[in-house]
Amino acid sequence: MKTRFLLPCLFLFLLTQNGNAQDDKAKDYRNFPIVVTLQFQAFAMPFKDLKSNFKNFGIGIGTEVSHSSYHNWVQKFDIIWFKNKAMGSGLLFSTQVAWRPYLVSNSFAEIKAGIGYHIAFRPTESFIQKEGTWRTVQKQGKGMLAIPVGVSLGYHNYQSETFVSPFVGYQIMFLKNYNKSIPVVPMTFVQMGARIHPVYPDLTQN
Amino acid sequence: MKNYSYLLIFIWAILITYPTFAQDFNVVKCNDSKPVPIHPKALALQKALDKLTAVGIPGVVAAIYEEGNLWTLSSGLAKIEGQVPMQPCHLVYTQSIAKSYMAVTIVQLAEKEKIDLDGKISDYLPKEILAMLPNADRLTVKMLLNHTSGLPEYNSQPTYVTRLLQNPERIFQPVEYIQYIAGKELDFEPGSRYSYRNTNYVLLALIADGITGDHGKYMEEHIFEKLGLKNTYYKIKQGDSYGDRLVNGYWDRYSNGIVENASVLQNTNVASMVGDDGIITTAEEAILFLKGLMEGKLVSNESLTLMKEWVLDKNGDPQYGLGLDYTAFLREPAIGHSGGGLGSGSQLYYFPEKEIYMFFGINLGTVTDSPIHQEAEKILEEIYGVVLGK
Repeated sequence: MKTRFLLPCLFLFLLTQNGNAQDDKAKDYRNFPIVVTLQFQAFAMPFKDLKSNFKNFGIGIGTEVSHSSYHNWVQKFDIIWFKNKAMGSGLLFSTQVAWRPYLVSNSFAEIKAGIGYHIAFRPTESFIQKEGTWRTVQKQGKGMLAIPVGVSLGYHNYQSETFVSPFVGYQIMFLKNYNKSIPVVPMTFVQMGARIHPVYPDLTQN
Repeated sequence: MKNYSYLLIFIWAILITYPTFAQDFNVVKCNDSKPVPIHPKALALQKALDKLTAVGIPGVVAAIYEEGNLWTLSSGLAKIEGQVPMQPCHLVYTQSIAKSYMAVTIVQLAEKEKIDLDGKISDYLPKEILAMLPNADRLTVKMLLNHTSGLPEYNSQPTYVTRLLQNPERIFQPVEYIQYIAGKELDFEPGSRYSYRNTNYVLLALIADGITGDHGKYMEEHIFEKLGLKNTYYKIKQGDSYGDRLVNGYWDRYSNGIVENASVLQNTNVASMVGDDGIITTAEEAILFLKGLMEGKLVSNESLTLMKEWVLDKNGDPQYGLGLDYTAFLREPAIGHSGGGLGSGSQLYYFPEKEIYMFFGINLGTVTDSPIHQEAEKILEEIYGVVLGK
């Protein structure tokens, strides 16, 4: 219940804080950081059954590129793999647009939404009958469209050298055509990770 | 960067060694004392059952009672892994057929004047439950029995469904089901129409507990023992394979004709439910229950007539009595109940004009659509034809 109230408050706070301290004209962003995350996944309604999230671990890797050379609008690209022993593991490819205003000092919030493709595996060995014989198809699953939306909080202190920007987030994912009887299935992720902003060599110089 | 590499390797190692969740139950061949029926009708039925399992239903059991003969038949597998054949002596999940047993329990209590069917449910339910049902004083016991209460369905609440699927080993308490509809308005004016809701029968179980102390024990004594049902169990124990006789249940999770073993989820789900579900039995004993009820062995003729007072749909067609469904197969009127679950499906019906009883139980879930069901439905028509001689 607390989470339900906390997040709308966070959104309101973000809206009132738009254009805060670091929203100046100085470029404060470096494209293509390495984004590594720990994912805690559950098939659950948004902000419900949070305990289940911590039963299912996963990892994510991704990167992002700024739409404006600034920190506040970025396009994210992620691959997440998670293990869910009850509902089946999954591999998720997604891209999201993120609005990332600064809050106080170097801390920032993030609201993101996008599109993805989810490959869902089965939790156990499965079978198909062909010519009267049952044959195993292992844990063969199904691909489906995913609609992700999420929020994050993080810390970003731009430096000219390699630096790390940690964050925590909550991602909601709606999976389409899970089966014919349940057309949309929600899954949620609690995310903890870091953007590692390396200094890439400038290949344009001799 | 090196530190991060170690971290990633560590996380990956944890993930790949994470234990796989065992979803199956042990089931073995059981001893069938009955001879294989040789009556032409039984042989035709066996052929049809074989067709059913040939289109992807893992296993099926059937029992037919007609003119003093009770035939039990089976086809397919009780467990795909290990190729354990399905047999009539195996225990199958009856799912919502349990509502008929629950209704008999309530009607028996009414005969003993321990409950008034026209009384308000607020007179029988504990305060803890009533606090969640703002309209309880507008609902009668009878409205729960014939699904005219208008109470919302707990079973279709997305929060419940996701929690159930994500936590296949989690036992739900009856009060938790009611929590999913706590404070919600009625879907329609009580008594104004029929709409099937599992919630009604969970409340009946809680009412019966209040009167008897343990309605499961009451049911055992006043239904199972009365009819000599030695292979029928209610409020089943989670994880118990009942002497390795309980069939495994399968589920076409993605509606693509591939089935996975969902026995743990199925078993835990049925072990959690009261009133609306929770009974396992053999095909033969399912028939003996309905036959016993129709022959007045469980309730008086007056009560049975009351149980067969059908609520009509908007077209004026009979739908449901007290724990009894009124339907038709190949235009032949039938009284009984059907059931569907995550890993099972069943039908128990009496054809009064033909004096035939039939029970079918499959170990494939029927609550989600599957191409297997579409094929099976065509064969079911053929099966009804054989049963009814049409």
